[in-house]
Amino acid sequence: MTADTAPTETVPTEKTVPAETLPLAPVRRVPLGARHLITPAAVAAALIALYMWVGTLELDSIEQRSLNRAVILAKTVEHLQMTLAATALVVLIAIPLGVVASRARNRLIAPVILTLGNLGQAVPCIGLLVLCTFLMGVGFQTALVGLVAYAVLPVLRNTMVGVQQVDPALIEAARGMGMTRGQILRRVELKLAVPAILAGLRTALVLTVGVATLGAFVAAGGFGELIINGLKLNRMPVTIVGGVLTACVAFFIDWLGSLAENLLKPRGI
Amino acid sequence: MSFGEYVVSRWGTLSLAAAEHALVVAIAIALASVIGIGIGVLGHGSPRVREGSIAASAAILTVPSLALLTLLIPLTGLGWGSTLIALTAYAFLPIIRNTVTGLRGLDAATVEAGRGMGLSRPRLLLRVQLPLAWPLILTGIRISTQMAIGIAAIAAFVDGPGLGNQIFEGLSRLGSVNSLNATLAGTLGIVVIAVLFDLFFAAVRHLTTPRGLRVRVRP
Repeated sequence: MTADTAPTETVPTEKTVPAETLPLAPVRRVPLGARHLITPAAVAAALIALYMWVGTLELDSIEQRSLNRAVILAKTVEHLQMTLAATALVVLIAIPLGVVASRARNRLIAPVILTLGNLGQAVPCIGLLVLCTFLMGVGFQTALVGLVAYAVLPVLRNTMVGVQQVDPALIEAARGMGMTRGQILRRVELKLAVPAILAGLRTALVLTVGVATLGAFVAAGGFGELIINGLKLNRMPVTIVGGVLTACVAFFIDWLGSLAENLLKPRGI
Repeated sequence: MSFGEYVVSRWGTLSLAAAEHALVVAIAIALASVIGIGIGVLGHGSPRVREGSIAASAAILTVPSLALLTLLIPLTGLGWGSTLIALTAYAFLPIIRNTVTGLRGLDAATVEAGRGMGLSRPRLLLRVQLPLAWPLILTGIRISTQMAIGIAAIAAFVDGPGLGNQIFEGLSRLGSVNSLNATLAGTLGIVVIAVLFDLFFAAVRHLTTPRGLRVRVRP
């Protein structure tokens, strides 16, 4: 569905390709145009098809209670709130930590973070969420903690790697130009790390949209509630609506991320 | 009941669930590896196949796992079928991508030398290209496995096999005796499986990497 190759090239790079990967071919810059409209068009088509399909069904009273405008709107808002709040927290936590971990004097911490990051990926998110429930009870905050814990790692790792891979010669040059350390960090290192950081952030966002469906297990609402209720009450249309809506939101957010990557990339890169 | 006692008293159930978890992941990864490496080998020369298959597998990965698993129910029912299909579908991207990257990243001179020695194309592929790209392909399989192990936990919700059942059992009996133990057992068991698989792949990698390449492998 996502035919815009440039972004799909970059997302999984960060998630899937480890340090020992061969360098990838440079990502082609596609000018904003028809290619970038394929994803929203496909998402819109899927939503319209879903709407029309549900319109042809004769809903019983149980289905009507889930599949009406008010409930779906409420679930959408809950889902987006969870996703966006978690992502905002992830940005606040992971990027500063990543920068700190990439400093030369913290060289010992970096491998620890990388190892934890790789192992952390193995902890199943549903297990993490349920364990959080034992500590904090059910609700929005619990889901938020679980989501943040899960999404922090890719962003943290990408920030660290992104800052570390900046060519030392460039930093040397900046120092030679008389920049202070703060200036070098802000104007050279962070700028050059932007593509890596954004790719990590985009991975985290898409991941969060998916994991947020599990938030329904800890009573935090969202589309997961439709999926779970439909399954429990044996009402397939409710489940399908929840599933398709989640997938559509994931695709749409991924698309927004690809736009952001294109727009925010420093011009020199 | 302490966690240790719980694990001991439920050892039969837990070990069976763990074995099923590992089995479903192993089957899915085997399927995804065969298909993914096949696509990568056949398609790495043509930009259209290459980009198309990577874009398609990336799109699959964008679909949230709970959504994909539930959307599969009308097609393949509850249980093993849906779990296997979903896990296999999610595992494609790292494998295809690393196969393509590995085959394309080969030193052109090496391939040329092989051709100069009179190797036919299949033999060139089997004797030169695949062995050289193998460490990278194996890394892709390893990443897919780690991912699949985590997703398999969610598959318990659609009646799939594995340790996810312990987690959901803990959730559904929240607050009662042993609910924390069940959740912990499920979660930690999955981490243990992930670590074991990773060790397995480290061993496979050590045994199957061509000797000439080992020098380049970074610690």
